[in-house]
Amino acid sequence: MIQVIIDGKTCAAEEGEILLAVARRNGIDIPSFCYEEALAPYGACRMCLVEVVKGGREGITTSCTLQVTEGLDVLTESPEIIRLRKALLELYLAQAPRSESIRALAARYGVTRTRFTKKTVRDDPLQNRCILCGLCVRVCRDVMGVGAINYIGRGQFTEINTPFFEENETCQGCGACAEVCPTGAIAIEDIAPNRIMKSWSGTKVPLKTCQSCGRYFAPSPFVDNTLEKLDTALKAALQDLCPDCKRKEMTRQAILLSTGTPLPMK
Amino acid sequence: MGLATCGIAAGGDKVFAALKNALSQRNLQVLLTRTGCIGYCREEPLVSIHLPGKSLIILHRVAETDAEKIVEAVAAETVPQDLALCRVEEWDPIVGEKLVFGTGFEDIPVYDEIPYFAPQRKIVLRDAGLINPEEIEEYIAVGGYSALHKALTAMTPEEVIEEVIASGLRGRGGGGFPTGMKWNFTKQEKSLQKYIICNADEGDPGAYMNRNEMESDPHMILEGMLIGAYAIGAREGVIYVRAEYPLAIQRLTRAIAQARDYGLIGKNIFGTDFSFELTIAEGAGAFVCGEETALIASIEGKTGRPRPRPPFPAQKGLWGMPTNINNVETWTNIPVIIQKGGAWFSRIGGEKNSGTKVFSLVGEVQRVGLVEVPLGTPIQTLVYDVGNGGIEGRKIKAVQTGGPSGGCIPASLFDTPMDYEHLTAVGSIMGSGGVVVMDELTSMVDTARFFIGFTNEESCGKCVPCREGLKHMLMLLDKILVGKATESDMATLEELSGVIKKTSLCGLGQTAPNPVLTTLKYFRNEYDAYLKGVP
Ligand SMILES: Cc1cc2nc3c(=O)[nH]c(=O)nc-3n(C[C@H](O)[C@H](O)[C@H](O)COP(=O)(O)O)c2cc1C
Ligand code: SF4
Ligand code: FES
Repeated sequence: MIQVIIDGKTCAAEEGEILLAVARRNGIDIPSFCYEEALAPYGACRMCLVEVVKGGREGITTSCTLQVTEGLDVLTESPEIIRLRKALLELYLAQAPRSESIRALAARYGVTRTRFTKKTVRDDPLQNRCILCGLCVRVCRDVMGVGAINYIGRGQFTEINTPFFEENETCQGCGACAEVCPTGAIAIEDIAPNRIMKSWSGTKVPLKTCQSCGRYFAPSPFVDNTLEKLDTALKAALQDLCPDCKRKEMTRQAILLSTGTPLPMK
Repeated sequence: MGLATCGIAAGGDKVFAALKNALSQRNLQVLLTRTGCIGYCREEPLVSIHLPGKSLIILHRVAETDAEKIVEAVAAETVPQDLALCRVEEWDPIVGEKLVFGTGFEDIPVYDEIPYFAPQRKIVLRDAGLINPEEIEEYIAVGGYSALHKALTAMTPEEVIEEVIASGLRGRGGGGFPTGMKWNFTKQEKSLQKYIICNADEGDPGAYMNRNEMESDPHMILEGMLIGAYAIGAREGVIYVRAEYPLAIQRLTRAIAQARDYGLIGKNIFGTDFSFELTIAEGAGAFVCGEETALIASIEGKTGRPRPRPPFPAQKGLWGMPTNINNVETWTNIPVIIQKGGAWFSRIGGEKNSGTKVFSLVGEVQRVGLVEVPLGTPIQTLVYDVGNGGIEGRKIKAVQTGGPSGGCIPASLFDTPMDYEHLTAVGSIMGSGGVVVMDELTSMVDTARFFIGFTNEESCGKCVPCREGLKHMLMLLDKILVGKATESDMATLEELSGVIKKTSLCGLGQTAPNPVLTTLKYFRNEYDAYLKGVP
């Protein structure tokens, strides 16, 4: 165990732990869009910037990539950090004008309007909410082991979708992407007998019917793959859940199975 | 005959064919051979003639139709004086013994008196334009691979690193990180497998020094890498070359094959227990792939996007193994440092900026080409002495150094020494050594817009400040250029520039706003003019 100082508060941590995680455990809420404990640090959203004042490479850095060492002393809300975060939020407001979560976070920092031209794409599969944090791509590939979606294009023209914007056969319909999306950009709808991944080029995944009541409840390939790995006790536990909760629980269990780390409860 | 890409572009291959043809019609004992480029690109095609015992004569602006005349002169054991640029009596290839060509042709100016060459000091380009880059024996003849022999047979890996540290050599890929220290990081990692990489992605518009280094003298890169691998403890290396450099790839491929034939690559080099394998990876054409973590991803077959550091490549690089990555030009200095010693090297150049740097001098300047000068040489030496000032007597307004994300330095600051610290102090960067000259006809706002257009285009799109921020900077600049912008747009532009620099993930975003920040600082009046409508 080592000690680090976050906003003047002394916190215990394991050497090499990610600062962002240490901060959250100690009730210090550093905003973030692209970080999930179950995934490798990515460093793209830049919301988690902090200022290292002592005990490390001094200056501004992302807390989701900063491994703590003894004596590290950081500020998560210095005037400079707040100034930069506000500017980034303005960029986000312009990029994802339809996202409520972005608007809410911006409001928390007193940012209610943006000086930048808002992006509004007609019929955007991601509803003018995507901020390209890459969580969906990474959870699909690195946690679910599927890789149904990826980046398309480069720079300001980057999008996320299925290869060639075609319906994708590998998609299991698990919905982990929508689960981790910080801006609620991904649209999924169950229209019997299929689950429609509306954001992913309309990919259709067949739903399974409940053995007892005949209702459709979850995508077949996903249920089959996950059930194969679950032990009987968990299988039983899942029986008691309503379809909605079952869907969420299955996603969580699948993530837990492949990484040993559950996603936090949403 | 100088046949690097620049020489070929100037029509050199046609001249070469004509010379070959003219020679085939006579029975002369003449060896016609290809060389790389001596750097005076504006005067190409360049043909050098060496008659036994006589000075080497460099002919310039040679046309296809000159071939007969040249061959006739050579047959008469002389040279066509009207085509002569200069003569070289002897040459120091630095690592080997002095080359003595001879004397004679006294009325042709000597190399050192030519204003373009006079301020130059050739260490990196020690053989460029003088040897045939496609023959390993020519490299060996000028002392090539002697430094490798020395390192492997007379020095420990630690001693090699000490020498590199003592030399003060800093990375020539842009960051200027001390090379010896970097080598030590990788050396100290505990791992059975380690890699070294040569970064030859060179994507800056207008920059082509690495291309010339590879095309003119590929073996010096191989030798530098071999010495580095020995010091670091790596057994495998990769040269990452952009696919737009086919001739460089061809010459490197040939060089590797020859070195392997000579036992200089492979198992038990020089009979020691040091073994090394080297391969070439072709880049996929993205500027950002020159960034080291994106480059490594690209070699691994992934999309070329940077990732946060740490972990640095020295800890976790290619295939997750400790990896040392250096720029082409960094590697080329290594044989010199080993052969002449770190202390010798450290005396060249400026304080904390030892050695030379090859700059590509381009733009609105009379003499364009590759210029190698000691670090710390003032900008004015490059622009006025070497470059001879503006075209048709026009006044020079500024230079932009360091590639697309360098800053624009006004003529009033041309006494600034070209070294890492001074260029940073005036808001620019060394980068890989591009120098673009702008004259009084150039609009600085337009220039800034051009470079933001470039970096915006090349942004990988991973992090928000670079991807979104540059897009909005471009929109604001366009608004300024059509005369619709207000003071508050200007303030937004300036603020946004600072935010992008401070918050971007990789060096691209962290430097991309420099052209705007420096033009705002030094040429504010040009922006102001646009605020009142299009001037
Ligand atoms: C956007 C970007 C592009 C880069 N392009 C190159 C390049 O073309 N060649 C190069 O050697 N280094 C390039 N670099 C720097 C490399 O990341 C790295 O620092 C360098 O290869 C290290 O070598 P050195 O220590 O010998 O300079 C680039 C960096 C960035 C951020
Ligand atoms: S700074 Fe630009 S190029 Fe670098 S990671 Fe961010 S978006 Fe990609
Ligand atoms: S959470 Fe750190 S950059 Fe996104």
